[in-house]
Amino acid sequence: MAEMWISMGPQHPMTHGLWTLKVKVDGETIVDADPELGYLHRSVEKMGERRKYFMNTTLTDRLCYASSTTWTHCYALSVEELMGVEVPQRAQYIRTIMLELQRLASHLMWAGAYMPDLGHITGALYFWRDRELFLNLLELPSGSRLLYNYIRIGGVKRDLPDGFEEKTERILKLFEQRLDEYADLFENSKIFRMRTEDVGNFTASQAMNLGITGPNLRGCGTKFDLRKQDSYEIYDEIDWEIQTREAGPGYGDCFSRYMVRIDEMKESVKIIRECFKKMPAGPTMASKVPIRASGDAFRRTEDSRGEALMYLVGDGSDRPYRWKIKSPMFTTISACPHYLKGYKVADIPSIMGSIDICIGETDK
Amino acid sequence: MEITKFMKKLSSHKGVSDVALIRDNVVKLDLGKEDSKDFFISLKEDYGFEHCSLISAIDNQPQFELVYHFSVIEGSIFIKDSPKTVMIEIHIFLERDTPTIESVSDLWFGANWHEREAYDLMGIYFLGHPDLRRVLLPEGFAGHPLRKDYVYEIHEEEW
Repeated sequence: MAEMWISMGPQHPMTHGLWTLKVKVDGETIVDADPELGYLHRSVEKMGERRKYFMNTTLTDRLCYASSTTWTHCYALSVEELMGVEVPQRAQYIRTIMLELQRLASHLMWAGAYMPDLGHITGALYFWRDRELFLNLLELPSGSRLLYNYIRIGGVKRDLPDGFEEKTERILKLFEQRLDEYADLFENSKIFRMRTEDVGNFTASQAMNLGITGPNLRGCGTKFDLRKQDSYEIYDEIDWEIQTREAGPGYGDCFSRYMVRIDEMKESVKIIRECFKKMPAGPTMASKVPIRASGDAFRRTEDSRGEALMYLVGDGSDRPYRWKIKSPMFTTISACPHYLKGYKVADIPSIMGSIDICIGETDK
Repeated sequence: MEITKFMKKLSSHKGVSDVALIRDNVVKLDLGKEDSKDFFISLKEDYGFEHCSLISAIDNQPQFELVYHFSVIEGSIFIKDSPKTVMIEIHIFLERDTPTIESVSDLWFGANWHEREAYDLMGIYFLGHPDLRRVLLPEGFAGHPLRKDYVYEIHEEEW
């Protein structure tokens, strides 16, 4: 049969955002692919050069609406490194709690979006119902539902409200029961496993070279999590484990990526509980935050989707001279010809859904 | 290999200067443009930097600067009594009238789109790149908007 190119996107149920995937098919089998980006390019880096350092936290929020706190945190951390600001202990604990709540919300958002890709609309409703619980929690200290602007350079905007710990505990308890429900609904479902097992495989050494990080890399069995390997805030003082899948039949496939994220959510619950136990009293903002900076600095963090890195160059003025954002999804999407090749057209939603695409951060 | 030993070995490479430790797990160095490819090959083959984190291009007026970030994931370089993994930051300076350098996307596939982005927004040409097209801006866009001397009004009509 003659080979031909099919264009999926920019408006397609599979794309989760605006981008185009061109696939070359031979009958039903994928021979080659060519992803195309840029539909959502807002020139965040250029805009950042015209704004003062503290103004850019509103821009970083909008890099990814599903995981905005983690991006603002990565920016704040890089600027603090550039300016040499010391963040108070209590603020570091609050940041960690917010980051883990955001990770839960982001993973639930992903799981909810992944289920309709596989034809399981009910799954979306289940996961998004629970995501709402965490969005409510994130709303309490920050005042908004998606774009929080809560983490600031030097600390956090304000202290946690009264009764936050009790409310969180109540929701975490409920969420743990829900996780058991998910196990029955999805992990033990024959149809779900048929769609995801042995589909979209890649090995750890391939993934590293392709630039794939985060839960997608941990799904191949690599113990690489920047919360441990390049520890920031107070992750090194807390007892938690990196979640990976053991090597074996079908590891590094869509199902293992699903399981890694589910296990990570359980781990996040643990981290939040321990943070509340250890949290000291004190100020939530550094006493002195400079507005000018010179030199260059970078920090990398474990975003919900992988390695986020921000590289900043200051020229002594109050605005960044150059601000470069590394998005984990940018490289993961670029590698899609490698892990799509050889699978059927019907597997595309299953594979591309499983890597958790966010176009906002990718197009910058 | 311990990180201090690694830093000593780095200084013996051709074209490498100013090796410094900027954080407990980050090594920074300057590299000459001509010797860059040989150095990158040994970085991957001999020292085990499996992952290309980022390539950033900076317009320093007049010259350009490329900053490469590579990380070790399971490699052989370690820090004593610490779970942290090592990163390297490499600075390469390019002349304004010849903004070209050899591509590293054959060594790390993850560098492929970072190089395309540097070409797209800053106009750096990567020699030997398999597919050097614009990635974020549409085809046919004129100029490279992250350059400091870019003025939109000049290019408005062309595009």
